[in-house]
Amino acid sequence: MEKTINNWIPFLTLIRREIKRFMKVMIQTVVSPIVSSSLYLLIFGVSLGSQVNLPNGLPYITFLIPGLMVMGLINNSFQNSSSSIVTSKFSGDLEDIRVAPITNHQIIWAMGIGGIIRGTVVAFITGVVGMIFHYFMVGDFLPIKHPLLFAMFTVLCGLIFSFCGIFIAFIAKTFDQLSAFSTFILIPLTYLGGVFMTIQGLHPFWQKVCHLNPVFYLINGYRYSMVGVSDVDLTTTVVVCLLAAVVTYLMAMYSLVKGSFARW
Amino acid sequence: MKALEVKNLKKVYVDVKDASRSVHALRGVSFDINEGEIFGLLGPNGAGKTTLISTITTLEKPTSGELNVFGLDVVKNARTIKQNVGVVHQEVINTGYFNVTEILEFQSGYYGILNNGDRIQFLLDRLALKPHAHKKVKQLSGGMKRRLMIAKALVHSPKLLLLDEPTAGVDVELRESLWKFVAELQKSGMSILLTTHYLEEAENLCNRIAIINKGEVNYCGSPKEVIQKYSTKKIHIKLTNGDTKEILTSAAESLNNVLAQHKISLADIVDIQMTEGKLEEAFTKVVIAGREAHGAAQ
Ligand SMILES: Nc1ncnc2c1ncn2[C@@H]1O[C@H](COP(=O)(O)OP(=O)(O)O)[C@@H](O)[C@H]1O
Ligand SMILES: [Mg+2]
Repeated sequence: MEKTINNWIPFLTLIRREIKRFMKVMIQTVVSPIVSSSLYLLIFGVSLGSQVNLPNGLPYITFLIPGLMVMGLINNSFQNSSSSIVTSKFSGDLEDIRVAPITNHQIIWAMGIGGIIRGTVVAFITGVVGMIFHYFMVGDFLPIKHPLLFAMFTVLCGLIFSFCGIFIAFIAKTFDQLSAFSTFILIPLTYLGGVFMTIQGLHPFWQKVCHLNPVFYLINGYRYSMVGVSDVDLTTTVVVCLLAAVVTYLMAMYSLVKGSFARW
Repeated sequence: MKALEVKNLKKVYVDVKDASRSVHALRGVSFDINEGEIFGLLGPNGAGKTTLISTITTLEKPTSGELNVFGLDVVKNARTIKQNVGVVHQEVINTGYFNVTEILEFQSGYYGILNNGDRIQFLLDRLALKPHAHKKVKQLSGGMKRRLMIAKALVHSPKLLLLDEPTAGVDVELRESLWKFVAELQKSGMSILLTTHYLEEAENLCNRIAIINKGEVNYCGSPKEVIQKYSTKKIHIKLTNGDTKEILTSAAESLNNVLAQHKISLADIVDIQMTEGKLEEAFTKVVIAGREAHGAAQ
């Protein structure tokens, strides 16, 4: 009875499964961000952007690219864990994971890392497309100002939205509930969080409202690490992001303990 | 040591449709399985068989009672126990991104086993899945899916195997080969708990059975005993005067008594044939008796 197993193998297997899974939906992962970010860059960056004067003096396209990248990161890390769990509910894989000697912490971290990887792949592709545009519009390839901060915000963003995806996928009883969360909460928070705009031009009241949106801090932190401008100070941003990571981790844990592994 | 001990196990669900009502799926179930035994859990739909299996695999938490696997409490030692238990769920898997080999590799990884190629090849071979190793689940027939589920349950060579209606919806030929495989697994030292609707097979395969109905065990013992106790046997007698007599009697009744009751002396008999009772009949009687006892108690 006393055969002790190496804890790393189940954990690494889960991560490997996550990666293999999104590799199988490569078109969704790689091609669609190329198309959508090119469209955003053409319409907002090149066409409309030429008429925008930002208070911080940056060319609009320089401002926009980090926003698009972090949006890709957010959406894809969320989607990776939530769709992984939902499809596993259908296939019964979730039961296998529950029955196997794998802890909840391992499940959450494996999903988190899977989400970071997929989100980073998409952010990277968006960045490459963006930098080509940037080169033609501004004349340089948009160097990253603070690489260490950039890495930190990438990891935090990926984890937070992967954890969020776990929570929602476990709590959701149907596909509709899952997509409702995306449509009515995630997308508005991202758009209002400053992907396309700075809040400096807004009425002070609406500026205050924006500060209640945690995604606002993530986007601004990410943008700051790339181009050095932000609507909030860095310390507040880091504190909020770390808090968000802890809270979403606890939410994910709650959903694993309370939620159902049974099939849909 | 016992492979499994179930003591006064209760499970209460919240009703799916009406949250204010509760469903008593297990009402104090007790039985145990010896090491190396094939144990059959028989019961009609809704009896609580799947619920019982789910509590062993930790998919469901018992409401009360005790559950030990190889002497360890399931709730307290979940991780250790999981390494030694394999399960084939009742519901068939039907979707997924991965092919048969990938699924078995992941499954090995979940149990901490790297490079499990030999075992996987053996299982693919033994379960006739080799030609389908690169197919995805949705390309498999029902029987192949079932075999894949069995292979998954066995990648880590568990000491206790749980089979929840493994032959439901499976054709006769496959069913026979599956039971042969199960017997082989038993020879290798595995302890096996299976639920089935096919009583005849339980009769041949299981060392012991429990009959469960409405969350209560109505009978536990060897299949022979239950047949003796609850079924009828048919005695067909040819007499010297040319008459034939057919007598139905409890399987436990001795032949001497039967003959005495019918005032037949041995000298009058030319030939005698007995048809033993079937588990099916005993099963039905036990279930009905249990239902009546249950109704009376309420
Ligand atoms: N998750 C659940 N929630 C509520 N009731 C359930 C749940 N699972 C099973 N039940 C109920 O518990 C009883 C036993 O079901 P089950 O264990 O599946 O029986 P069996 O496998 O013997 O057919 C049934 O009345 C069933 O409706
Ligand atoms: Mg069942």
